[in-house]
Amino acid sequence: MMSIYRIPVGPQHPAIKEGFQWNFKLDGEVIVDVTPRLGFVHRGIEKGMELRSWVQGIYLAERICGICNTPHTTCYCLAVEQLYDVEVPKRAQYLRIIINELNRIHSHLLWIGVLGMEIGFMTYFMYVWRDRERVMDIVELITGNRVTMSMNMIGGVVYDITPPMEGIIRRGLDYLEERTKYYKEVLLNEPTIRARTENVGVLSKSDAIDLCAVGPTLRGSDVKSDARFDEPYSSYDEISFNLVTYPYCDVYARALVRADETLESIKIIRECLDKMPSGPIKVRLKRTPPPGEAVARVEAPRGELLHYVKSDGKEKPYRVKMRTPTLANIPATCEMLKGYYIADIPAIIASIDPCYCCTERMLFIDINSGKSWVWTDSELRRYSLKYYRERRK
Amino acid sequence: MMNVLYYLFRVLIYPGFLFISALAFVFEWIDRKAHAHFQNRIGPLYAGPHGFLQPLADFIKLMAKEDFTPTWANPVFFNITPVLAATLPVFASFYIPFTGMPVLPPFEGDLVLVLTLTTFFTITAFLAGWFSSNRFSSVGAIRVVLQFLGYEIPMFISLGSAAIAAGSLSITKIANSQVIPFAILQPLGFAIYIIALQAELEKIPFDIPEAESEIVAGWLTEFAGRKLAFFRLSEDLRLVLGAGLATAVFLGGGSGAILPPIVWFLIKMVIVVLIATSLRTVFARLKIDQVVRGAWKYLLPLALLQLLITKILLVVM
Repeated sequence: MMSIYRIPVGPQHPAIKEGFQWNFKLDGEVIVDVTPRLGFVHRGIEKGMELRSWVQGIYLAERICGICNTPHTTCYCLAVEQLYDVEVPKRAQYLRIIINELNRIHSHLLWIGVLGMEIGFMTYFMYVWRDRERVMDIVELITGNRVTMSMNMIGGVVYDITPPMEGIIRRGLDYLEERTKYYKEVLLNEPTIRARTENVGVLSKSDAIDLCAVGPTLRGSDVKSDARFDEPYSSYDEISFNLVTYPYCDVYARALVRADETLESIKIIRECLDKMPSGPIKVRLKRTPPPGEAVARVEAPRGELLHYVKSDGKEKPYRVKMRTPTLANIPATCEMLKGYYIADIPAIIASIDPCYCCTERMLFIDINSGKSWVWTDSELRRYSLKYYRERRK
Repeated sequence: MMNVLYYLFRVLIYPGFLFISALAFVFEWIDRKAHAHFQNRIGPLYAGPHGFLQPLADFIKLMAKEDFTPTWANPVFFNITPVLAATLPVFASFYIPFTGMPVLPPFEGDLVLVLTLTTFFTITAFLAGWFSSNRFSSVGAIRVVLQFLGYEIPMFISLGSAAIAAGSLSITKIANSQVIPFAILQPLGFAIYIIALQAELEKIPFDIPEAESEIVAGWLTEFAGRKLAFFRLSEDLRLVLGAGLATAVFLGGGSGAILPPIVWFLIKMVIVVLIATSLRTVFARLKIDQVVRGAWKYLLPLALLQLLITKILLVVM
């Protein structure tokens, strides 16, 4: 019999593409316990926001995460627009929905491919990623960029959809719908995929709520929660679409949720194109917002995203704080992993669609007193200098 | 003198060591290229026409890299296992009748010897992983043995039913005794052999011991440079051995009209390689418990069923 031993998964491991560490305690092949360790890719973005102007903040927010860049800018812009107390023109709102849903399609297709890769089904990965190119093409058509879309601005959107574009977008959507339906068929019928994902990483409904899971992870555990429904932003209340939930609570359910959400997104974009109001796509605003604070919630592909901004009436934000979906899902993931095999690790970790670079924030918590605080850049620098000076002695 | 030179030529060049090694690289190219096309990719392209020399280029590149032994690894086993891994399949291939006659003179029971050598390979893989002193390697090494517990017996029984039908334990005699290939007479046994071969070669859906997304490279994690080159060559050589064994035992060896035996043998081997490639294209990786359970629940009873059917048919006819 093997005794309990530890293996580190990450910060460099084929299952995890970013710097993050899961320390596993194993009994043979069975996971006994897991400790996540954050902090490998901390970039000081929140602090960086405070050092830049409001407009520059959009571009920094966009670079928090490559895959869900639009939800980040949408969320930031929505929060700042609340400070101005303006509502962007209707056409801009619809364009925001379209670009966010295109982002969701691209993110979900990417994830479905990654699931295939994590469970060793490379063919699935290759096919899904080939078809994902189509949505990238649509995004490039609208914004001129494939990944970092630069669509949002404070007070509206930058690019408009012209009538000739509409036909190309619709044709692309038809193709995507057909392919996504096929990939869902494969998910439903391929025995090895089902063998690897069914009853793996079970997160019960009550656990999902208690551990504050968000997004498809939560909806895979049969909880109806979606920021687009609960607190409609950007005219989502004028669009009819279904909230997808599955009651199986496992990796398989999360995969099906994402496949169905992709189909829903395609429907949403079609409806937006049909209903698209005419008019301006942006409003001109003053350089600095009035003092105040605001919070915006956006349903990113990975789950609910939250931006908090505070203005003291100056050219730069006083404070910007984000809560990204991956951070919210990490406690739930630890719960999901316990009791399963090493072979399930990649599938379970991937099932929350982790994006660690979104997650990294600098927050200090004193465990003994329960006090938490945030350091500024210069304080952090002072601490690091002191730390290394003491070590050198 | 001429006799000695002739035997040396047979052992070292054709159809011996050089031929088998060249075949190994060609089969890797076929496997990679077909796999790539199945997946809507292009595959190797630059080294040689259609990337034909890519496996050889990869081998040479790895050979040129730094040779490295980790501090905590057992140096004896760490250095000897790559050599063993590459030589065992070559030795076993000397009993495969590529040209109608194997390199070494066949004898009654060489099938058993070949199977013993494949078993030795599994032990070599286990030792290589275990003595790497790496946690991922250890997990991979244990998985090698666990998987072996699953596929070994069904594989032996499926080959055994062919041997019973042919009335011989010599691979050459089994190959020559087939008027209708055993793949048609014993489809179940052939299917079981192909599945077990996939497990032995550690290809998807049975690439569990080196599952990349789970345990990095499994029992191969610590190997680099020329040791890794030898292990990769060994994988290709085992593909040659496995495909050769399948051809000789189930597909009638080199028998066929018009063309010489070696051409027929190669055509049949390529068919086996392509079957293996398509199998690794259409599945996801299974889990170790699922493989062992599946092997004992389905493969073994089916293999025994094939044995029973063969025996009954022999008695009746």
